[in-house]
Amino acid sequence: MNFSDPSTLLVLVPLVPLAAAVLTVALGRVLGRRSWLPAVAGIGAAFVCAVMLLSGMAREVTGVGHDQPARPVEFVTTLWEWAGVDAAGMSGAAPQAFSIPVSLRLDPLTATLLVIITGVGLLVAIYSIGYMHGDPGEPRFFALVSAFVFSMSMLVAASNFLLVYVFWEAVGACSYLLIGFWFSKSAAAQAAKKAFLVNRVGDFGLAVATFLLWMTYGTLNFHDSVAADGTLVPGILGATRLADASAYAGGAVGTAICLLFLLAACGKSAQLPLHVWLPDAMEGPTPASSLIHAATMVTAGIYLVARTAPLFVACPGALTLVSIVGATTALVAALIGTVQNDLKRVLAYSTISQLGYMFASLGTGTLLGFTAAIFHLVTHAFFKALLFMGAGSVMHAMGGVIDMRRFGGLRRIMPVTAATFLAGALALAGAAPFAGFFSKDEILAALHSRGWADAHADHHEGLPADGHAAAAAVFRLVSSPTDAARISAGPRASTLDALDTPATFRLLFWMSLVTAALTAFYTFRAVFMTFTGPTRVPEEAGHHAHESPPSMTVPLAILAVLSAVSGWWLFSTHSLATFLAATPSFTAPAVAASATPAVFHWDLAIQGTLAAALGIVVAALGHLGRRSDGPQPERFLGPLATLFANRMYFDQVYAALIVKPLQVIALIAAFVDRHLVDGLVDLVARVPLGLGGVVRHLQSGIVQRYALAGVIGALLIVLAVVARAMG
Amino acid sequence: MNVVTPAPLVVDGLLVGAILFALGLVGLLARRNLIVMFLCAELMLQGISVSLVAWSRHHGDWGGHVLVIFVLTVAACEAAVALVFVLQAFARTGRLDSAAWQSLREANLPRIVDRELPATDAVPPRFPRLTPAGVAPATDEDALLEREQV
Repeated sequence: MNFSDPSTLLVLVPLVPLAAAVLTVALGRVLGRRSWLPAVAGIGAAFVCAVMLLSGMAREVTGVGHDQPARPVEFVTTLWEWAGVDAAGMSGAAPQAFSIPVSLRLDPLTATLLVIITGVGLLVAIYSIGYMHGDPGEPRFFALVSAFVFSMSMLVAASNFLLVYVFWEAVGACSYLLIGFWFSKSAAAQAAKKAFLVNRVGDFGLAVATFLLWMTYGTLNFHDSVAADGTLVPGILGATRLADASAYAGGAVGTAICLLFLLAACGKSAQLPLHVWLPDAMEGPTPASSLIHAATMVTAGIYLVARTAPLFVACPGALTLVSIVGATTALVAALIGTVQNDLKRVLAYSTISQLGYMFASLGTGTLLGFTAAIFHLVTHAFFKALLFMGAGSVMHAMGGVIDMRRFGGLRRIMPVTAATFLAGALALAGAAPFAGFFSKDEILAALHSRGWADAHADHHEGLPADGHAAAAAVFRLVSSPTDAARISAGPRASTLDALDTPATFRLLFWMSLVTAALTAFYTFRAVFMTFTGPTRVPEEAGHHAHESPPSMTVPLAILAVLSAVSGWWLFSTHSLATFLAATPSFTAPAVAASATPAVFHWDLAIQGTLAAALGIVVAALGHLGRRSDGPQPERFLGPLATLFANRMYFDQVYAALIVKPLQVIALIAAFVDRHLVDGLVDLVARVPLGLGGVVRHLQSGIVQRYALAGVIGALLIVLAVVARAMG
Repeated sequence: MNVVTPAPLVVDGLLVGAILFALGLVGLLARRNLIVMFLCAELMLQGISVSLVAWSRHHGDWGGHVLVIFVLTVAACEAAVALVFVLQAFARTGRLDSAAWQSLREANLPRIVDRELPATDAVPPRFPRLTPAGVAPATDEDALLEREQV
């Protein structure tokens, strides 16, 4: 087998975890305590393949200078055609043949995400050997994790919107099954159901968006393909369409597609108003929360928006809405996170908040914004997986207790967990030089460049390529109504586009800065409550509260190192940004024109660091070295603390507005079904029963009566014949 | 052969046939003794046979006669078979009552049971007894008394 061929490797990345999942299901009982073997081996092999793909892709991309516009690099392999429908059988004005090529693609964005998915997946699988040890559902867990890695790699590697939809659902199914892993626990079953139902709202958006894409563009492929009659079908994100600035629908249809994508992304990535499922999803096993509900699956929304960047850029209003939703979610989730006492819930709200950051960054519509979002996705995957695994390690030692008020001072018992958790917390808070500092700085820079476009251009004056000015020019072009009208004919504009003003982005920038301070506060509040103060252990832990086994601490250490250095390494070499710029979606003229020279924004870095420092200091004043079960400083917030502790009453509002009316309708439907429909069926059943009750008396068993019946029958026949003969 | 006999002869024959048939039918429906029921069925057959012969004579052909011979043959075979059944039924139950066999009724219907006749206190009637033949009758004072009263 030729392993240098990208198509083989590309197929192997999802295939090996799938095989591992099937193997674990088939041999679960045989493997017994070693049921982790196929999963770890399979995901490990997939990780090796992904790294080889990434390095190959990196060699392909390099050689393009920073000043030149990035050359799109993509590689597509079609495995087989699925669901072919002839044009002859279709109705409509211009029937087109329909088929779904099962195509996998490789480009910088996919390669990056594949490495993250399989890498974090591998570490989580290794960690789970220790964490899930002795659980009766161990084989099921490892089979589901492998199945998830398969689905997620297919999601980011699919080159067709329908395949994206299929695997969008598949990761949702894996998520559902893992949240409800301990299904005998009522809370877990409820949380799984909630996650599934809330995600349906988003999935509906993706389905309708797919229909609209087919209606608008006549294909669902990302790549250019050749039709049966030899004509070129330009793919939605193919080179042909990307080269043409006006090839993407704006106006009502384009905005509708983008808003539906945003709805889908809000569901999967837990953004307002569909964020309510993620905090409850923490009922699942901690490694699953770490992999699915922190590092990978919840970033599917980010991937979707980044992948469809050219479509969003054509609809500035929808794009701005992405930013608004993101920044608002980031702020709201951070506020709620400040008063949560469940360690995993704090991290869940933090995940929602950080995903909000990524959306805010995507919504700027600049190359910097898109790459910063992916950059933050990468670093966030490292440090959030680390924090979750650290929380899992604490939970493991504390006998399943995760309420921070019930333990404290754990750094003396669990030094490795404490140290690695601190590294993750510093990265999350955005303290220099940890990973989060650099990616957050990029996001703030992206927002800043849209809020203060001219100032930003001046800021970079004298640099070799005046990209900022060019970017500002592009924004002005798109923003001002007259120019927008010149680019695109009148109906292409949408009323939502009025949102796209510098003032909006200035507000979003300040919101993000406040969020940064809040992030630092709640992160270090959790650190101080858990690891400092007098050492206390809940009685559930028994006498054996101890550091976790090496299979758990080694992945923690690896992720801690990555959280510490990945940001600096990826930023200082600009490797990630340059690499990602070669993604076909980011080479659309409107995106590529906004390219700016990579630069470290000292002013923003200082603002961000000050915000983080403020948060850490406040947390230290309130919590450092204190007993975590005492009165907390958050009580000074007064009614706001109650509001945040009740998660801003989102669940209650949804219960009153959606759940209750639906329950009433369900009750009515149940009544109609039980009494009206079932009553009709029963009635139909009773007719033959009643008739039978009458007729069964004839079956007496007395032979004379049968003879009499025969005689009467014969007489009737004779009478009938006679009556007929008489006329 | 196409000699049409006078109509009254047909009517007589049919009347006899019908009476035989009706007697058989009533017996079949009213009696429970298996042998009697079988005999009644035979009676019905013979009623039909008689009417067949009557018609045959009326039309002056042999069709009815031939059919009657067939009926007799079949009835003979049937009698053999039926009597075996009756014998077996008797061997099983010790009774010749057709009501002994009720198992094929609907499960939830009650078994039909003969009603007991109400016990009567009535004194059995006294019948006059004949004196033995060839012996001089003894004078019976009571009888004499009775005779005087009559």
